[in-house]
Amino acid sequence: MIEVTGASKVFQSGNAEVRAVDDVHLGIKPGEFALIVGRSGSGKSTLLGMLAGLIRPSSGAIRIRGMDLGSLSDDGMSKLRSREIGFVFQFSGLLPTLTALENVMVPTLFSRGEAGTRARALELIRTVGLSERANTYPGTLSSGEMKRIAIARALINRPSLLVADEPTGDLDVDTEDEIMRLFRQLNREGMTIVMVTHNPDLVEYATRMFRMDRGRLEEWTDLHPGTPLRGSLPI
Amino acid sequence: MDADMKYLAYIVAGIRNKPGRNLAAAFCFALIAANLFTGQYLIAGEVGSVDQGVNRMGADLLVVPSEYTQLLSGAESDDTMAIVAVLPSMYRFNRDILSEIGTVQGVAGVSAQLYVQAVSVPELSSSPIDVYGIDPKTDFTIQPWLQDPLSDPLGTGEVLIGRDIRGKVKDTIPIAGRTYTVVGVLDRTQSEMDHALFLSMDDALVLASAETAVPTDVPTGGPPIASGGVNAGLVRVAPGEDRDVVVSRINRLGSAADITVIGRHFSLDPISQNLNGLPGILNAISAIVLIAAFPLIALIAAMVAHERRHEIGLLRSMGATRPIVVFLVMAESLSLAALGAVAGIVASLVLLFVLDAIGFLNSALQVSFRTPGAAEIVVLAGMAFLVVISMGTLASVYPAYRSSTMNAFDAIRQGGN
Repeated sequence: MIEVTGASKVFQSGNAEVRAVDDVHLGIKPGEFALIVGRSGSGKSTLLGMLAGLIRPSSGAIRIRGMDLGSLSDDGMSKLRSREIGFVFQFSGLLPTLTALENVMVPTLFSRGEAGTRARALELIRTVGLSERANTYPGTLSSGEMKRIAIARALINRPSLLVADEPTGDLDVDTEDEIMRLFRQLNREGMTIVMVTHNPDLVEYATRMFRMDRGRLEEWTDLHPGTPLRGSLPI
Repeated sequence: MDADMKYLAYIVAGIRNKPGRNLAAAFCFALIAANLFTGQYLIAGEVGSVDQGVNRMGADLLVVPSEYTQLLSGAESDDTMAIVAVLPSMYRFNRDILSEIGTVQGVAGVSAQLYVQAVSVPELSSSPIDVYGIDPKTDFTIQPWLQDPLSDPLGTGEVLIGRDIRGKVKDTIPIAGRTYTVVGVLDRTQSEMDHALFLSMDDALVLASAETAVPTDVPTGGPPIASGGVNAGLVRVAPGEDRDVVVSRINRLGSAADITVIGRHFSLDPISQNLNGLPGILNAISAIVLIAAFPLIALIAAMVAHERRHEIGLLRSMGATRPIVVFLVMAESLSLAALGAVAGIVASLVLLFVLDAIGFLNSALQVSFRTPGAAEIVVLAGMAFLVVISMGTLASVYPAYRSSTMNAFDAIRQGGN
């Protein structure tokens, strides 16, 4: 699903170079739920942006389902995101003047325009447990409900990969658990998920866990019950 | 929304998202559109007035008695009067000469004028009223000034009065012991015609020979007016003809010794002078408003784009290509421009109609404002609309480009709801 080979990202900060992502190697198979943890500034979000084609690496290569992102134009990357990648962010980013249902349908504007997106959006809203709120506006939804609508929105174009950047960062513990259980449910249904968080306690929901520190990625454990932590990396 | 998602729905939602801000932006566009439309509407109406003025000042040549030349040099100080009505004069020539002139190649029309006398009629005017005789059939200099065209030719016992004479159509007014019916009132000419009264040539001769003629403040002092005597002939040159050539042709007539033909070196400027200034002023105001408003509109567009960075970043993450982002940002700006333009044009049109109906435009512009026709209004509205739309487009190009090329991931992480 995802192959990262020696990917680095260097930012210029004044005269100094900041190596946000440093020679990362990573392989994610279909159906995995990978958690990337790390402190603020460790480079985990930059790596996520690179995996999603929103940030181009300074060096190295990233492949999504065999497609080299470096060979794609900006529009090609956009189309890849539209087809293959669903995003969930810390902020739900719902447009307040659109209903929950309409918000879920927004990404279909950029896909191939297949018919029946409304029915699919309703189905997804049912999947995230908010059927009765489909026609309400975000202003009337709780933060957990908004997040669930955002997840439904991320899934509307049938992506093969769900990328989540601190999706529970602003949620209370109960809501966080509710959202994480939803992610796990999606993962069990076959969705590949890569999620970035600073909260290592979420490890119980993932199938693999990576730690990012000063731009370097290490796999911490494969998290299968009874399996000892694998420890040293890069893989 | 019953159907699948459409761009229009998203654009409308974006506009509804910040109603206050977008209302303000649309209001800016409305002001620009209203300014442009109003300015061009007034100019069009004024140009119509000038066109009408051109028709009203149709004499290209003035035929006067040869003795009149000296007096005419004084007339040049009032070109307007000279071109539409002869100045009070004691000198006359026989109007048969005018018939002869009418046959000259290049002459499109000839009309005689006879200055009768100046009469004092306090109930009609505080200053003396100049009385002229005109030939209603051939006249092309006085009747075009009528506020409303005559339904029938000027007849016996009927008069046309200048704007400063108190009276209105169907009033009967006393002149030199006779009563006349007002059948037409002239528009303001800004000349002595405003204090003048015009009657048919036959009535003029009767009035001139009347033994009961009242004392005049400006006595003609000349010999009695003989039948057929006129003070001037106003000549219209056929389109495309050289005036000087026509003058030389007239001067070659056998009877030319009794007359002097004067080419019109006096132009239409005097009457249109105060009109001509207005388009310049209105165009200058429009230009200033456009120049001043453009940076403001551009700033609003840039602010809107900046404010929506997070949202646009999200759209990019969902698969929106750069052209789509440019389209969405510009479409919103264009929608606001279109809404504002329509509102501004409609509002100013209603206001202009009201002002026109109550006569404010006539008095404010000091012209007989000609209301543009429906087709002209549509063209003017279309032009104002296009200018505002173009402005909205230009103002949003750079913000749209910046939105499409920004670092989407950074924008997303900068916050939102």
